[in-house]
Amino acid sequence: MTSRIINMAERIKDAEDRLLESMFESTPIADGGFSALVVRRVRRRLWLRRLALPIAAALGGAIAIKPLAYLLTIVASLSALVPRELIDSTISAIPQLPIIVLGGMVLVACLLGLQSLEE
Amino acid sequence: MTSAADHELVARIVSTQDTVAFGELVRRHQSQVRNFLRKLAGDISLADDLSQDCFMHAWDKIHTYSGRGSFIGWLLKVAYTTFLQSKRKSKRYAEILEEVGHTMETESRHYAIQSEEVTDLDKLLAVLDEEERAIMIMSYACGLSHREISEATAMPVGSVKSVIFRGKQKIRTSFDIKNHQHG
Repeated sequence: MTSRIINMAERIKDAEDRLLESMFESTPIADGGFSALVVRRVRRRLWLRRLALPIAAALGGAIAIKPLAYLLTIVASLSALVPRELIDSTISAIPQLPIIVLGGMVLVACLLGLQSLEE
Repeated sequence: MTSAADHELVARIVSTQDTVAFGELVRRHQSQVRNFLRKLAGDISLADDLSQDCFMHAWDKIHTYSGRGSFIGWLLKVAYTTFLQSKRKSKRYAEILEEVGHTMETESRHYAIQSEEVTDLDKLLAVLDEEERAIMIMSYACGLSHREISEATAMPVGSVKSVIFRGKQKIRTSFDIKNHQHG
């Protein structure tokens, strides 16, 4: 009830208020392509955001491929120095390949799910 | 599309990033936002650039519109924030230029009338400071309530009323509005 009284009091305008309102009154501005321009900017931004991650991943992969291949070659040559018994015991401790692949798929599915929730 | 209320369009935008719905919102409110910024900035081209930026910020922050209060009130808050950010940026830019030895025409704190024709409204706005100008425009040009202005400017309602009172007093003493004749 109090807020209604306050709102009503606010709406009671004197002659000065009405005069100020008439002075501040402005002519409506024609759109003239303004809204279309804004929508174009919004769409461009949406596309840039959608493309940013795949482009970044592709660029990162392109940059990393050569040093990664070199690293793998070194690791492969180093593995020849490791005793066979140590390799066998280590391999048995590491999760099986199918489990690794399943874990990777779950991770990718979670990431895609989060992305769609965000959108 | 044209018959949907603002909050329905907002819901569509938030849920599906519907740019057509956003375009409709822009079309409905661009006149009021542009008029607000034109009166605030005193420069038509600057105001229209700021209006575009305002709607881009509105797109980014549209999920923050709770539906309480009018959409135009929320949009004018974004417009006012965009205006203040622009002023801070140009002030920083001027300071940097000064540091490197370039002088720049200092931006007047006062309302800079850009158009060749000086209207009575221009004279009226020129006697007000920035805060008074923004609040008076929101109140008398945009028709926002004191509460909406308070939310838009992040000021208490009491302060909004004081600013309006102060603004009217300044106008009364500097510009005889009682004897104002239109056109």
